[in-house]
Amino acid sequence: MTRVLDATSHDTATTAGTMPTRADESQAPDSIFSYQELLRLDEALTMSSRETGLRFTLYIGDLGPQTRSRAEELFERSAHSAHELADAVLLAVSPGQRVVEVVTGSGAARRLPDRACALAVLSMTNAFASGDLVGGIVNGLRQLSDQAGHPRGLRTH
Amino acid sequence: MTVAETLLVYAGAPLALVLVLALLTLVPGRRRRTRYKPGQSWEHEPVWYEPHPAGGGGGGHAATPGTGAAALGSSLFPEQGGEGTTGRSGAAQLGGDGHHGATRALTAGPSAASAARPLGGARGTW
Repeated sequence: MTRVLDATSHDTATTAGTMPTRADESQAPDSIFSYQELLRLDEALTMSSRETGLRFTLYIGDLGPQTRSRAEELFERSAHSAHELADAVLLAVSPGQRVVEVVTGSGAARRLPDRACALAVLSMTNAFASGDLVGGIVNGLRQLSDQAGHPRGLRTH
Repeated sequence: MTVAETLLVYAGAPLALVLVLALLTLVPGRRRRTRYKPGQSWEHEPVWYEPHPAGGGGGGHAATPGTGAAALGSSLFPEQGGEGTTGRSGAAQLGGDGHHGATRALTAGPSAASAARPLGGARGTW
C-alpha cells in the first residue's frame, strides 16, 4: 500500500522524459523494446551463437568519446575465459552517437574477416538510418553468422 | 437546398471528419514507448544482451552453475535482481552506469584480454 502511494507521488513529481519508476516497470518492463522485439533479438543472438560456435553479444548504449577503445574495453569484459574471449564477437550500437562497432576476438576474426564485418555493418547502418534498430541488428547478426559458417566439429543439435 | 444545409454539408461535414481524425491521432497515451528515430538522443540505460548458453546449461559454460540464462545473467551482472527482461529474454542488463556493472563483470582478466588480441572488426556511422 505504501509502495503504491510512493509510486503515485513519485509519478506526479517527475516529468515524462525521466526513467520509469519501479512501479512503472510492472506495466512496461522494458522501455526500449517491446516483447516481440526482445524475442527477435534474443533468438538472433542465441541462434547465431549456436550455429557458429562464436559468442555474439550485443551492447546498446553510449560508447563515450572514443567509441572504438570503449567498444574494445567492453569486449574484453564480455566473456568468462580467455578461450571464450578469442571466439567472441561484440556488436556495440550507440544510437545516440549513431555509431556501430563490431569487435571480434583473434579466433573469431579468422572466420569473420574485417571485410565481412564491414559488410554487415553497412547493412546495419542502412537499417538504422531508417529507424529500424531491431531489424538492422537481426539482419547484421544473420549476415555475420552466415559468413562465419558452421564449423565441422561443432554439434549443436 | 437552403444556405444552412449547404454550409452543413460542404463545411460542417469535412470539418467534423478532420476533427475526428485529429482526435484519433492526437489522443495521448496510446503508445508510451517512443520509437527510435535517427538523430534523436538516446537516454536509455546501457543494455548488454548475451546469448542463451547452449544446451540449457551444458555446453561450454562450465563456470556458471545452474541452468538457463537467468543464472548466467545474474552471475554476470548481479545487481539486476527482479528485472523482468533478464529472465525472459536471456538478456543481461547493465544497471546504473556502465562502470559499476562492468567492474563486477570483469571475469576474464588482463591475460585473457591479451590472448584475444589482435582484435578485428568494423565501424560504421549512420
